[in-house]
Amino acid sequence: MSEQKIVTVPEIATIEEIKDEIVDVKTFYLKFDNKEIDGNFKFKSGQFIMCTIFGAGEFAVSLPPSPENDRFHITVRRIGKVTNALHDLQVGDKVGIRGPFGNGFPFEEIKGKNVIYVAGGIGLIPLRSSIVHVLQHRNDFGRILLLYGSRSPQDLMYQYMLEQWQNIEGFETFITVDNGTPEWKGNVGIITTLFDKVEIPVENTVAFVCGPPVMFNAVIKELMQRGIKDDMIISTLERHMKCGVGKCQHCAIGRTLVCTDGPVYTYRQIKTLGEQI
Amino acid sequence: MSYTPGVCTFCGTGCGHYLKVNGTSVQGVFPSRVHPVSKGRLCVRGWNIHELLGTHERITKPYVRDAGEVSYKDAVAKLVSALSSYKPEEIAFYASPRSSNEDNFALMKLARLIFKTNNISIQAESGHRNSLDVLYNGTGFAGMLGSLEDIRKAEVLIVAGMDITTQNPIIGSELHYAARSGSLLITIDSRMTKIAKLSKKFINIKPGTMRQVFDAIAYYIDKQQWGNTKPAHYEEYKKYLATVPFDSIEKETGVLPGEIAFVAERLAKAKSAMVFFTSGISGLSYDAIASIFNAFVLADKIGKEGCGVNPIAGINNLQGSFDMGCAPDLLTGFQNIDDATARKKFEKKWGQELPTFKGKTVEQLLADNSSPLKALVIVDHDDGIVKYADRLKSLPFVAYIGAFTNKVADFAHVTLPITTYIETDGTFTNTERRVQLSVQKCNPAFDVLPMWKLIDTIAEAAGKPFNYQHASDVMDEIAALTPAYEGISHKLLSKKHGVQWPCTKKNHDGTKYCVPEKVSFVLPQKPYAAVQATQEYPYLLMLGKAQHYWHQNNIMHKTFIPLREYNATLLLYPDGYVAVSPEDAKKIGVRDRWPVNVVAQKASMKAMVMISDDVAPGTAYVPYFIREGIASFLLAYSDIVSQGEEATIPVRIEKV
Amino acid sequence: MYLVKKNDIKKIAKALEEKYTLYGPYMDKEFGQCFFDKVTADTVDLNAPIPTNPPKHVVFPHLETIMQYKYDKNARKADIAMVFDDTPKALFGLRSCDLTGLQCIDRFFLGQEFVDEVYRHHRSRMFIVANTCVIPFKQCFCVCTDSGPAAQEGYDLNLTDLGDSYLVEVGSEKGKTFIEKFNFPQATEEHLKQKQKLVEKSITMFDDIATESKAWVSRVMNRVTTGFIKEEIWEYIGNQCIECGACSYVCPTCTCFNINDANTAAGNTERLRTWDSCSYEGYSRMAGGHNPRKPIEDRRNKRFFCKLSYSQSKKYLRPGCVGCGRCAWVCPGDIGLPNVVTYIRREIHE
Repeated sequence: MSEQKIVTVPEIATIEEIKDEIVDVKTFYLKFDNKEIDGNFKFKSGQFIMCTIFGAGEFAVSLPPSPENDRFHITVRRIGKVTNALHDLQVGDKVGIRGPFGNGFPFEEIKGKNVIYVAGGIGLIPLRSSIVHVLQHRNDFGRILLLYGSRSPQDLMYQYMLEQWQNIEGFETFITVDNGTPEWKGNVGIITTLFDKVEIPVENTVAFVCGPPVMFNAVIKELMQRGIKDDMIISTLERHMKCGVGKCQHCAIGRTLVCTDGPVYTYRQIKTLGEQI
Repeated sequence: MSYTPGVCTFCGTGCGHYLKVNGTSVQGVFPSRVHPVSKGRLCVRGWNIHELLGTHERITKPYVRDAGEVSYKDAVAKLVSALSSYKPEEIAFYASPRSSNEDNFALMKLARLIFKTNNISIQAESGHRNSLDVLYNGTGFAGMLGSLEDIRKAEVLIVAGMDITTQNPIIGSELHYAARSGSLLITIDSRMTKIAKLSKKFINIKPGTMRQVFDAIAYYIDKQQWGNTKPAHYEEYKKYLATVPFDSIEKETGVLPGEIAFVAERLAKAKSAMVFFTSGISGLSYDAIASIFNAFVLADKIGKEGCGVNPIAGINNLQGSFDMGCAPDLLTGFQNIDDATARKKFEKKWGQELPTFKGKTVEQLLADNSSPLKALVIVDHDDGIVKYADRLKSLPFVAYIGAFTNKVADFAHVTLPITTYIETDGTFTNTERRVQLSVQKCNPAFDVLPMWKLIDTIAEAAGKPFNYQHASDVMDEIAALTPAYEGISHKLLSKKHGVQWPCTKKNHDGTKYCVPEKVSFVLPQKPYAAVQATQEYPYLLMLGKAQHYWHQNNIMHKTFIPLREYNATLLLYPDGYVAVSPEDAKKIGVRDRWPVNVVAQKASMKAMVMISDDVAPGTAYVPYFIREGIASFLLAYSDIVSQGEEATIPVRIEKV
Repeated sequence: MYLVKKNDIKKIAKALEEKYTLYGPYMDKEFGQCFFDKVTADTVDLNAPIPTNPPKHVVFPHLETIMQYKYDKNARKADIAMVFDDTPKALFGLRSCDLTGLQCIDRFFLGQEFVDEVYRHHRSRMFIVANTCVIPFKQCFCVCTDSGPAAQEGYDLNLTDLGDSYLVEVGSEKGKTFIEKFNFPQATEEHLKQKQKLVEKSITMFDDIATESKAWVSRVMNRVTTGFIKEEIWEYIGNQCIECGACSYVCPTCTCFNINDANTAAGNTERLRTWDSCSYEGYSRMAGGHNPRKPIEDRRNKRFFCKLSYSQSKKYLRPGCVGCGRCAWVCPGDIGLPNVVTYIRREIHE
């Protein structure tokens, strides 16, 4: 499938709606001004765009919406100069978009398998695309699990979706927080503690992992101990990016460029990159 | 053929470079391979100077509070009328160590001749002045004694408490090259800096004991009778050396007697030796510098090739600013304002008597709420002045002169824009007394005046024009009034990589290393008092100032890459940090970036921990400039802080 | 092949000047430093030594505006326009090492997954006249990196100084069409043999003249690729690095860049592209603070891996080093590529 990519000149999009998520995280629903592109912007789960905030700069952000039947949006944490400028924008303001870039999560290749999603903190955001997409084709997959952990109940992303997901039949969701609160009635403990509570499938299973580097290493260990092979563990890596098209080289890890060869890699590939992630 | 030669104006090294200029904009930079000091190298700032020079964050029009943007004529008129309504003791001028010599001289002349005040000083605190005072008292030269070009000729190179590869990277590089070709490089410091890692010998001393260490070195040289006893005041110096507690030197300073002996022997017996220490945004105290200087006098390393007692200025024209008389008690060339011959010379040239009252520095005037200060003219200052924000706000009149947008301008009633240094001619004197000419490279990007021309306009509006047509006219006047600059003119400098003063009409090549007519030991002003850690306050807190100057530097904020690099630490530790060794971190029970309370006798502060191998156990390190939280802690210790890099405070560090 | 008398060689430059902006080597009037920059047919100096600045800046400037936009916040209107420079450029007197560097950059910007439009415009109308190095310079080591002293490909015309005339070889259709018009006398096989002799002689002169930088690059490439270099070596090298970025800036094959949006006094915004360097700590630092290459030694490791290994396998299909020797003299820590290669080799033999 050949994709139409906006490579050099950003396309202008309007912020249609802004939604507050957790502290410092907002979702921006976007609509391309160009009517030909709007509704025809095709992308795969796991791909990202380069978003220009006029007057501030451009930054790389993963696409959380499912490629099918989902409102086009980005979910961004306020952390640096450009994201701070984004958070100060209002509904009606314009941004620039280039993309989609990157290799995306496998979808066709994992049909028929069991799928485990393991996410930490705001690592759930890039995985959302794949989760929603897979749930839209529920019958093409075996067991679907989500193991999700955050520092505290206030740091849980997509709480409204988590409630929905917990009620979907055939979608096994397990949630934990590092530090509980008196109101929190669920699991307390770091994400690796969930592995003792869940019987995860091992045969014919693929695992998607996304979270901070410390969590990543601990979770990989748990998965591999239980028998999941390293080419069946998939992650999406983040890097400082400037161009998004494999030229500025800021995103290089060893021999690979995260913006063009990634950002999705199997753990087998990550092990051979030659540099730490 | 768009590469034009010039001088980098970030730090006191004054590296030679070429700027790629295209009309009104600078498109690139490239090092000068033939420059005698930089020899084809530049640092991260120098390599990205085009980002600063092309920025649009400029003050583009004169501005008067409540009136908005106005013409130069109106703004200057307002400035003159305001200043004229105050008594000379109520007016002060805050010069910038980044301004060119022509700009600073014109400002000094404006202050003394037009507004008749001696309240003029440079915003670099007392650091460099201490160095100049010691060197002047000991040799008659108010400047670095050696020459950077000669570094590779020195047999022994000592770096005393300076993170030289961060502050003046290219000088650090020269030391590294010299060490690789056989010079003995010794670092004496309380922290394992990069130059310490590259040194043959690293002597780790307790914080605040630099003076004691050099006294001990001198003591040993004298005891072995290796020293030169001819310089003046030797007898008094010998008496002072007798008070050095050499037998307990390890307990005092953390240095073994054998290490002292090693340095002493090498220093005394080498044919040539140089010492480098930081000078500027806080240097060492007068006494610490005196002890270093005296050790070198005793070791007979003054006035010879390959020798030098070298205070290193961190800012490009810090040396030049002092040379231009931007101090309450100085005229140009370190001539004292009370010196009758000098006074007569100036009064004759300017046709008017010089003011006679004892001027004060701007820092003194601002810090003392009872001082008569009412009107202040600030040139190109950084955020540091805002520690006196309340006093500033209360002043009836503040004027700001600068090229780049600056939050300090918010305090000003009148703001006057000027050109950047490439939009006019100007000379800058680097740390080794090298006066280098930077010629105009492009037309001003905005309709603004060079500072020396602006000052002339102000003088004209006040009734006494200076009549400067070109920047070279200013230098000609400087040369006529300053023996050390006598032979210097723009014409002379335009074909060379600068000349090192003294440069007389007879000696147009300048003076590489200073050969004093008379050398004398410089006796310390205060008795030595060791700062000891106690049970209650077991850590010795060191302050670093100089290498962190660039974090809060206004011009750094106009760049992209240098800002990104200097911000690296700030982003990880947004409220500053306190660096401790891994062992101490374990003892306190904290990990990297965990919050701690740093408690001293007079004050306490919160900070984040940075675990660093560079800091010895029992010591901690705080970068002064980074955040105001730390700065207000240090306000309680301002007498100690004034000791510059020697400042040491016993503290307790607790997990929050 | 043509034979052009020494006096006539500038005719080529003059003819190029009519259609192209001419770039070539010249000696700076003030202090005698050699640059490769805009010249005229009269000021270009074919006898100038290897230029101190890398000619890559002609197609990949140190600082350039690649895009301009204006966002009217009240009207909620954004106007975006790319800024391309496709003026015709002629490089006259390009040394073979720099030409190899240019080819590497071509392969990188115009190949891989995407084509860099800004670069493509810079490069679109170019005429290259190479200049054989009949004598090496002190800093050179192109013989260790298979990039000189004579250019093999990538030029429209190649000049070799035979003594009283230049041998002008044609390397492309464009070059052929251009040079035919002059009716210069044809050169013979004899002249080609003369050139080969000169090149061979030049190679033998490296031992005596090119003494500053020697690097047995191929020996070390394997080690760098397989990663069998002790950490202590990288720490030793990293201790000497003061993170100035010079090595990347002067390297003819380095292409890393930084993008920043700068607001102008006129009210619009320019997107600037500037050279960047992987030596810097902030190069790989992410907004949240995580920095996968924080220690200096990791960055040194990365640079030489990229230059000696990664470039071979993916980026340029040849070593990333062209033996120009610039990183050796520009480095404040004395860890240019030749020295690093020496440190690695020394470690291998210990």
